[in-house]
Amino acid sequence: MLVIGRKKGESILIGDDIEITIVKLDDGQVKLAISAPKEVLVLRKELYKEVEEENMNAVAKNIDILKNIKR
Amino acid sequence: MKLLSKYHGEVNYEEKDIIKFPSGIPGFEKLREFIVFSIEGSEEFSILHSIEDTHVGLIITNPFIFEKDYEINLPDYITANLKIEKPEQADVYTTVTLSSSLDKITSNLRAPIIINKELKLGEQYIMEAQKYDIRYPLFREGK
Repeated sequence: MLVIGRKKGESILIGDDIEITIVKLDDGQVKLAISAPKEVLVLRKELYKEVEEENMNAVAKNIDILKNIKR
Repeated sequence: MKLLSKYHGEVNYEEKDIIKFPSGIPGFEKLREFIVFSIEGSEEFSILHSIEDTHVGLIITNPFIFEKDYEINLPDYITANLKIEKPEQADVYTTVTLSSSLDKITSNLRAPIIINKELKLGEQYIMEAQKYDIRYPLFREGK
């Protein structure tokens, strides 16, 4: 893992076509500008984790309730 | 072929029914091959079941039944990964989290599972935009 210090306005490049720029630093928070090709997935990790959790929740052992639903 | 599901009994399927998820599904990244089968006695819900792990069957639904205006703009990486050229090729499902009380049954409209039904390729698309709920109640009162 590369750990690197950056100042506001500075960037890092990942591969040929991904650039991450530090836009703003503010009391424990950093704002990043990410420029990446459209086919590259850019996602906040906690969102991925939430989806992971919800997928696990969708594995049901007992589905009897679904058989009695009348709409 | 036969799948002996841990929770849903015996399911027969054919080679052509297998849907490949080249990057897995979040939470089940190692599982790559799934089938979809219907639930007896239920029209709206189906099961997306791994054929590699007999424990893993996710309840899914067609989100358009519950949210008439549901809208997805597939990003280029999804259409490229799934080789989708026209909208008719895509099936859209969302996962469902059950509960013993009806009003707590939710579906993840934020991360639909997209399947190219012709090529049998699937991927879950996580929307970065907050337009839809991860836990959207399907049977809200007054709906």
